[in-house]
Amino acid sequence: MKNRSVKTRISTRALLMSAAFGAALLSGVSTASAETLTVWSGYPEMAPFYEHVAQGMKAAYPKLDVKVEAIALREHEKRVALGLTGGQDGTTVIELSGSTATRYLENDLLPEAPADISTFVKDPKNFDKFFSDTAGQGGKIYGVPLFRGQGALYYNTDMFKAAGLTTAPKTMEEYSTYAEKLTKRDASGKATVSGWSMRLSGGGQGIAEKFWINMHQYGGAILVPAGDGKWKPNFANEAGRKALKQYLTNIFTTKTVTPEMPADADAFERGQTAMFIRESWVIGDIAKKAPDLKYATAPLPKGSIALPTNLYVAGKGADAKVGWEFAKAANSPENLVWLLQNVGWLPNRSGVDYSAVTSKQPAFAAFVDYPKGYEFFTLPSIGPIEEILTRVAAQLVVAFGDASLAGDDAKIDAFLKKASDEVNTILAREGLAAK
Amino acid sequence: MLKRKRWIFAILAILPTLAIFAYVRLYPIVDTLRLSLFKWDILSKNKPFVGLANFRELMDDHLFLDALVNTTIIAFGVLVLTIPMALIIAALIFHRTRSRMAGFYETAIFIPHVVSLVPAAMAWKWIFDARLGPLNALLTFFGIPAQSWLFDPVLSVICIIVLCSWQALGYAVLIYIVGFKNLPVSLYEAAKLDGASGPQSFWYLSIPMLKPITLYVSVVTLVSGFNVYAQAFVLASDAQGAPGRQVRVLVLDMLENSFRNYRVGYAASEAVVLLVIVLALTLIQFSMLRERGKA
Repeated sequence: MKNRSVKTRISTRALLMSAAFGAALLSGVSTASAETLTVWSGYPEMAPFYEHVAQGMKAAYPKLDVKVEAIALREHEKRVALGLTGGQDGTTVIELSGSTATRYLENDLLPEAPADISTFVKDPKNFDKFFSDTAGQGGKIYGVPLFRGQGALYYNTDMFKAAGLTTAPKTMEEYSTYAEKLTKRDASGKATVSGWSMRLSGGGQGIAEKFWINMHQYGGAILVPAGDGKWKPNFANEAGRKALKQYLTNIFTTKTVTPEMPADADAFERGQTAMFIRESWVIGDIAKKAPDLKYATAPLPKGSIALPTNLYVAGKGADAKVGWEFAKAANSPENLVWLLQNVGWLPNRSGVDYSAVTSKQPAFAAFVDYPKGYEFFTLPSIGPIEEILTRVAAQLVVAFGDASLAGDDAKIDAFLKKASDEVNTILAREGLAAK
Repeated sequence: MLKRKRWIFAILAILPTLAIFAYVRLYPIVDTLRLSLFKWDILSKNKPFVGLANFRELMDDHLFLDALVNTTIIAFGVLVLTIPMALIIAALIFHRTRSRMAGFYETAIFIPHVVSLVPAAMAWKWIFDARLGPLNALLTFFGIPAQSWLFDPVLSVICIIVLCSWQALGYAVLIYIVGFKNLPVSLYEAAKLDGASGPQSFWYLSIPMLKPITLYVSVVTLVSGFNVYAQAFVLASDAQGAPGRQVRVLVLDMLENSFRNYRVGYAASEAVVLLVIVLALTLIQFSMLRERGKA
């Protein structure tokens, strides 16, 4: 009797354990049947947007689980390099600029978009040719355009008023004279609020990109096409000299800015700089962090960078379909208006009425209502572009710390020649140098 | 027969550990040596053999040479700062062993070694801040002009040396304290009877007898100094703009070449150079210890 009782207990326990194991197995199967989509972004401020897009897809994909992983851009680029070459599990929507994506496309690491997506992107009613071209290669479409980085001047209107300035600077010479008037100094003459915040130090290619934007106003460029897919540097010249000289004058002569002064959007939002050049996302950032800041924006004297960012999908077969659906959903008019209003990055899609946002926020005007003949440039879609910019940036940091360069044109020219030669060496190594 | 069986058992027992060690430690080193001879682009399908071309390019690469010089200065700077300080602090703590505060002293000096590097570096970034940092506040209080600690080419390297030394000190002190505890008390008693003062005993007895410990701590400190990366990265990193000058060090340059420029073969050649330096330092340690053993 006792034995039977023990046996019963044992079999009951076995039954319970089997049931628990079975339930666990079933729940695993159920989880596996739910669709999981990962979104990799290089802009942390974009995370709420992708979550908003995911919410909108709930009706069509009730079991869709979207994981948004938005980290700093440089770390994101490392993650993409390792992820795509190491074999990516599941479906991932990857946000990449057109110039960065080129290498992945050249090496077949990103799949071509399906026919319906390709038609959507190629339709000129949806995207200007400039944007559809940067999302593709060799006539094929690999990504869906989403937003662009475009620069404009941000200036603190209270500080302008206090300095007796009524309009934004219209020439690069005015940028320097305005900076002098706007700089606030302590009793010893040391700048406490910079007149014009310039990118002067740190790591990465940002320094070179910002330098390129300033040099573009003088007609120079880090790289220009030389035909047949070849490139050449175009900054060891008068334009490069003027741009670098302007930096050096502001740092060492008029002392309107120094490398150790707070810089960029954070400084602008805290009233530590009077003006600076940045992309449209700063509008959203100011709305969140410094809603009472009185500021305005203005187009740059000659033109701006336009750096398109696209969505690519890494995944195989039918599973990738949901990734492409996500990229397309991100481009729905409702989502794009949400993006502009809540994040501030400029959507690339044409034919969408953004006036509900732009009419309420006049700061967007500088990004959409630019003067006729305003010239845009973008980063070349070549493999070593990051290396070139990073190396030019490393050279520029040295120049920005060298007071002997200020006012010495011969030294500036020698510096630019050295940096230009280094760019040529990289181009030659990659078979991209013009003869 | 039994002896042979024991041998086989011992080898079989140690084999899994050796296999894991070979896979996770030796294989990456051998593969790095192989990669350094190829134009191994992380994204490219074509990865041709280029012989020593990567090493030749390194010799003309000013960023690599900058990184090599900076890393060497930092490694030796940390060494020069850490070893004498660790020796003196360890001696002070050891001679206060009976104090109720001995445990506190040891813990306080060791905490920086175990504290997470990133928050520690963030705290130091604030200390070195040119405008709001307490270091400049202290300097100006004494009438010394404030310095751009994180922006000046020389001072930014000194900042990294200070940060690395602060972290390395705890470990060095701990090892020295163990060394002090193993020194024969009779020698000190004899020296005391002969009229030697405390500092004389320290100078003529402790330092010579702690030579093996000094050698060990020196090499560990120097090797970890050559691997400096996170300190340089954190002191100059921010979400926006530029809080500091990027001091280029070897590991940072390798990472940039690998994952930003996708040039893994080239980065591998830098790793080989670092490996040679570290190996040379280790060999120096062994040879010095051997010489002492013979003496």
